[in-house]
Amino acid sequence: MSKMDQTMRDKLSQLVEELTTSGEPQLNQDKMKEVKKLCKVSTDYVDHFYHLIMTQLNQEHAEIRLSAFQMVSEIFSRSHHFRDLLITNFQEFLELTVETDTEQPLPPPKEVARKLRTLAIQTVQSWHATYGEAYKKLSLGYHFLKQIKKVDFHDVEARTLAERKRQEEKQKRLERIYKEKLEKAKQEMEEMTTEIEETLTEINNCIKLLATDDLNLFNEEAAVSKTSAAAENIPDQPCCSKDLSNEQNGEMTEKKKDEGQTDKCSDESDTEEVPDEDAFLRSTGLMSYKYQLELNVSTDLKLRETEENEALVNTVRDLHRLITTRHLPLVQSWIQVFTKVGVEEELMRTATELKKSLEHALRKHDFLHIDYKNRERRVMRAPEDEEDDDDDFVDVPEKEGYEPHIPEHLRTEYGLDETPSTSTSGAKAKPSKPVVKHPVPRVSSSLSLLKRKMHDEEQDPTCAAATLRVLKQRLCSTPSTSLSGSSTGVTVSSSDQAGISKDEASVKAPVIPFGVDLYYWGEEQLTAGKIIKNASQHQFWVPHEVEEEVVNEELSAEMKSRYITFAGEFKPVEHKCKAPMPNGSLCERQDRVKCPFHGPIIPRDELGRPVNPEDALRLEKEKRKREEDQPDWRDPELMREIEAATGEDLGSSKLYGKGKNANKGKSKKKYPNLTDLKQNASTSRSRLEKKVFNKSSMRRVTEVMNKMDKRKHEKFSNQFNYALN
Amino acid sequence: MLSFLYARQSGVDDPVRLRRAESTRRVLSLELNHNRDVDRIHGNGINTLDIEVIDGRYMLSGGSDGVIVIYDLENNSKKPQYTCKAICTVGRSSRHVHKFSVETVQWYPHDTGMFVSSSFDKTMKVWDTETLKPAEEFQFDGNVYCHHMSPVARKHSLVAVGTKDPKVQLCDLKSGSRIHILQGHRGEILSVRWSPRYDHILATASTDSRVRIWDVRRASGSLFTLDQHNGDKSKASSEAVNTAHNGRVNGLCFTADGLHLLTTGTDDRMRLWNSATGENTLVNYGKVVNESRKGLKFTVSRGCSPEFVFVPCGSAVAVYGLHSGELITMLRGHYNNVDCCEFHPDYQELYSGGKDCNILAWVPVLRQPDIEDDETNSKRGGTQAAINPAFEDAWSSDED
Repeated sequence: MSKMDQTMRDKLSQLVEELTTSGEPQLNQDKMKEVKKLCKVSTDYVDHFYHLIMTQLNQEHAEIRLSAFQMVSEIFSRSHHFRDLLITNFQEFLELTVETDTEQPLPPPKEVARKLRTLAIQTVQSWHATYGEAYKKLSLGYHFLKQIKKVDFHDVEARTLAERKRQEEKQKRLERIYKEKLEKAKQEMEEMTTEIEETLTEINNCIKLLATDDLNLFNEEAAVSKTSAAAENIPDQPCCSKDLSNEQNGEMTEKKKDEGQTDKCSDESDTEEVPDEDAFLRSTGLMSYKYQLELNVSTDLKLRETEENEALVNTVRDLHRLITTRHLPLVQSWIQVFTKVGVEEELMRTATELKKSLEHALRKHDFLHIDYKNRERRVMRAPEDEEDDDDDFVDVPEKEGYEPHIPEHLRTEYGLDETPSTSTSGAKAKPSKPVVKHPVPRVSSSLSLLKRKMHDEEQDPTCAAATLRVLKQRLCSTPSTSLSGSSTGVTVSSSDQAGISKDEASVKAPVIPFGVDLYYWGEEQLTAGKIIKNASQHQFWVPHEVEEEVVNEELSAEMKSRYITFAGEFKPVEHKCKAPMPNGSLCERQDRVKCPFHGPIIPRDELGRPVNPEDALRLEKEKRKREEDQPDWRDPELMREIEAATGEDLGSSKLYGKGKNANKGKSKKKYPNLTDLKQNASTSRSRLEKKVFNKSSMRRVTEVMNKMDKRKHEKFSNQFNYALN
Repeated sequence: MLSFLYARQSGVDDPVRLRRAESTRRVLSLELNHNRDVDRIHGNGINTLDIEVIDGRYMLSGGSDGVIVIYDLENNSKKPQYTCKAICTVGRSSRHVHKFSVETVQWYPHDTGMFVSSSFDKTMKVWDTETLKPAEEFQFDGNVYCHHMSPVARKHSLVAVGTKDPKVQLCDLKSGSRIHILQGHRGEILSVRWSPRYDHILATASTDSRVRIWDVRRASGSLFTLDQHNGDKSKASSEAVNTAHNGRVNGLCFTADGLHLLTTGTDDRMRLWNSATGENTLVNYGKVVNESRKGLKFTVSRGCSPEFVFVPCGSAVAVYGLHSGELITMLRGHYNNVDCCEFHPDYQELYSGGKDCNILAWVPVLRQPDIEDDETNSKRGGTQAAINPAFEDAWSSDED
């Protein structure tokens, strides 16, 4: 020590402190060079440096330790004396840098600590490689790390035993969970496979049934559009290619009928059909040169639900839902589990096959384009059908023009269009063929058909056709009711006819809900507002001066009057508050009269300044006043005290910045570059703890609990079994 | 050295003198040596070591995993580099292995064909070295902390056993039975030692802070109890009367001549007693850190002129002057607590075992080669080459 120059010694100490408290991941090279220069002078300095470094390594801060460690490794490679010193105390060194002692974990911050450990382990390895031969204790330390502490030097992560154990445990836990999942999935699979397969066969069969049905018959609509250049008189006849071939092979007459049945959506009328037939007959004979067929086969089928396939479609629908909501997610989850766990191929294959077939079924189903809308409405309507009929026509005499089944040939007489879509008529015409109902705005089309024939009849209000027209008009407004049911309902008696005049009046009159005033409309109600008092229930004896009836004016008025709230019309607010806000923007609030933050809304310009000078003056005055009477609880001294006590920023520094800053300057941190360890303590838990465990709240809680105890004692003190506790 | 040799040659000096001087020098220069390793067999901490006194060749070690290993310490390879080989092991695979930690192992003092081990599995086993099978097994009621056979006894073959039970048991190897109990302690017996001078004198140390000296010929009770205050009642509180330490006494060691007894306690003190009178010699060793909950095995040098004590002290072995109480050096090499150390009197080597599973051999540093000395010439050859470039400083030029 005597050999050492005091100034140089001090300089060394200072350099070490500066370097270790820099908080940076790398050492300052210039300063480090200085240190090396000093240490080179004599071993005494190395001694001194060693002691300084060991004190720094003992600091409870990972950043200090990391920097110190870096310095150690710099000097270690240079000075034999330092190596001697360090290796003599190698155990402590390892404890401080590699965390060999579990009771002495590396200090926070965690990130830096991990880095330190990694670096230390790597460095020890390299030291061992270089100096292990010469320094016995170093190699012992290396073996100690390797064999006892199970440090894997090849592990890049340089994980310690504990860490690896944790990892292993985690892995194990995950594996266990996966195994459980796998077992569960397997079991589920066993249980569910048969069910799923059943569902699959079911839906496949259903689809097959539906599809074949549709192929053989008529549901593949719009599959073919036929354009004929020569045969103009033949209207477009949508029919499928199969139909065509059938038709060609089959009888012509038969085919005509077929068309009559199948072309539901065509606007053909019966009257027009007659010449068509001839033309068609003729043209079919000359088909070879007259037709130019352009087959436009659209690949997607469109399936409509009918009564015939209703059951099928229902099943398909249910199955579809079952598959999409239940089976498919289930199978997918199995596959997920299997892929994660890595299971035998057999299971995996079955699972994937199941999934594939399910998806295939779904695709097929989508391909069919089954129109459920129709059916859904039917379902809703089906029970209502009769009721509706009852409601609408309950006052109609049973027999007077009403016939549930009107023969086809009589329909025109009855003022009805021919409704080929009714199942009854369809069935009659061609019972061998199921008929599809198309949701065509059929009523309106039939109306147009009827126009010519029925025009005069409609003028006569006594005729059934007139009533029908009214009804149809009403139905047109609600096209959803245009189904077979309506056609039967259409046949109404002629006696119901007040419709037209009422309609005209109802356009002008306001519609109000029915009330008591309407009930007594135009009548003088004598009893209204009178209350009859039956004071005495006695049989014979009656008190003489009892007034039996009390007229309540209010009540009687209520009977005759109606309150109609007049709300006025809503006018949206178009102005904005536009008061300037601290962030520079303008207030966007659109209050009608007063902004809750900026007071009454006054006209302002784009910069938020009041347009009217008196407004500006008023605002200015208010502002000054507000500034003047700062509430006395915001006394700066008090605020500062509270802040100091609670550690929370109440904004006193913002208001009284200068006074506060002066205080802060004194309490500057010693090492500003280091990570503040105490700062980390501000977790949600610690904040909660601060709240929950602060003195006043604890006191409050104990008080309340004491009170409760006391109350119990007071209440039951006279009972011996409560008195004791 | 030359003067010693000359004096020896001329017959001025007692022959012992040179030997003492040299062995003292060697002890003082003990350090870890690259040329000496001990096989790493133990997977757990090493609790006990024992070197047999007949050849000084074989060393026993007992680990806390119940494993017992026998090492060959003798270097026959004619090379300085030597690793003490484990010649046989009672490993975990053995049928007879101790179930729990082996606390003490000891060679039979008169023959290497037998050794005795005691363990926390409440047994003491007498092993046949040839077959590595227990020839005899003693079952006890509690954990066996220690046992000891008298190194000088010719008339009896008693093993004193200290267990969890406050009674010291005496087992006779001749009859294979427990023939005697010594009552007096009130706590677990952590250490027992026979005197190397009289084959009937036994010292026992216990958790009740007392050390008792017994004469096994007298059944009625102990001869005396060591008192740290030498009977000065004014210094001791009433319950501390007749105590050797203020904590548990967990280490006992007689000096080689048997005249003195060393004790260590968890009060971080070591005391030297006159074994004949039980008087505290009041040698101050300073603080000897001692946190062991079990027995501590420490040892005393033999054949040096001032004798030395080797005491495990944390992760180092402290070397004290026996009578001066001066801390000579700390032998640092273990990375965890040291539990036992054993001195090899012939070669002045020290073996220490610790919780870091290492058995370290502390070997005297050879004389510096530059000293002209005929005796060391032969050994010197290796050391000259051993100057390692790693010992040189490597300051780079840019630091100037």
